[in-house]
Amino acid sequence: MERTLITEKLAAIFRNVFNDDAIILRDDLTANEVANWDSLTHMLMIGEVEKVFSVRFKLKELGKLENVKNLVDLIEQKVKS
Amino acid sequence: MSEYLIRKAIVNDIPFLADVVIASEKGMSDRLSFATLFNKTEAEVKDLIMLMLEEETEGCELSLSSFIITEFEGRPISGSGAWIEGLNGALPSKILKSNLISYTFGEKSVRYLRTKAHIVQDVLIEREPMTLQLEYFHILNEHLGKGLDADLMHRIEENARAQYPGLGKVQCQIFKNSVFSIKILLRHGFRIAKSYKSADEEIFDYLPYNEKLVMEKEFKN
Repeated sequence: MERTLITEKLAAIFRNVFNDDAIILRDDLTANEVANWDSLTHMLMIGEVEKVFSVRFKLKELGKLENVKNLVDLIEQKVKS
Repeated sequence: MSEYLIRKAIVNDIPFLADVVIASEKGMSDRLSFATLFNKTEAEVKDLIMLMLEEETEGCELSLSSFIITEFEGRPISGSGAWIEGLNGALPSKILKSNLISYTFGEKSVRYLRTKAHIVQDVLIEREPMTLQLEYFHILNEHLGKGLDADLMHRIEENARAQYPGLGKVQCQIFKNSVFSIKILLRHGFRIAKSYKSADEEIFDYLPYNEKLVMEKEFKN
């Protein structure tokens, strides 16, 4: 799957889970900058990403996600393998 | 106090710590959010809490390294969890904790949570970076009233200052009906800084109460 398509799908997940149609994904976007990104919505977001991309993250992988770029990189790597 | 030994938690303490987490989460109620929000039994939750503690993700309330234990006659009789939010560039604890839950509870439970998340949204409170966050504090009933809480509080603060000498504040998020714990915190110099209340009556089916307090104490550096 192409990186652009991953980002598009991810943006749709973010807008839905964080309930904000105006969210624009940037590489350096972090949890602290998104209003509704709390412990519950984070779990929902991870769950949606795993479902939409048919992937399963390891805990170690989740612990290294500091921004959107890290997440896109991880999805790209997972869907390729 | 000489018969009590306060020490850092170790792997062998994990089953006891799971009980500490469950007792603290329930507070003065019989509602355990890890069970009600994820459609799990209490026994299942205990196993999952043990798994999360075994993962040792530093920097949140479910990190083994956040806990100290009091031992009496070689057995744990109290557990307390505290960490410094975001220390050494760690991810926010809300993310670390959510990663642990997503990973251990699994997809089905997270799907169930999706249908309930709106009920508890009003009492989710952000943690202040670089403050000491006190989350779990439980002493077995037969050891209450022996001054143990003061020693534990002192040790928690001492450990935190050793990690971060510039520490300015300790905070604790607590349900308003936890009157006994609130009394203890007030006695140790905490004050009520903020209050978050949900108007959704359904919350009583899932959480111990509909109002959460942020209690805090500032340190003079």
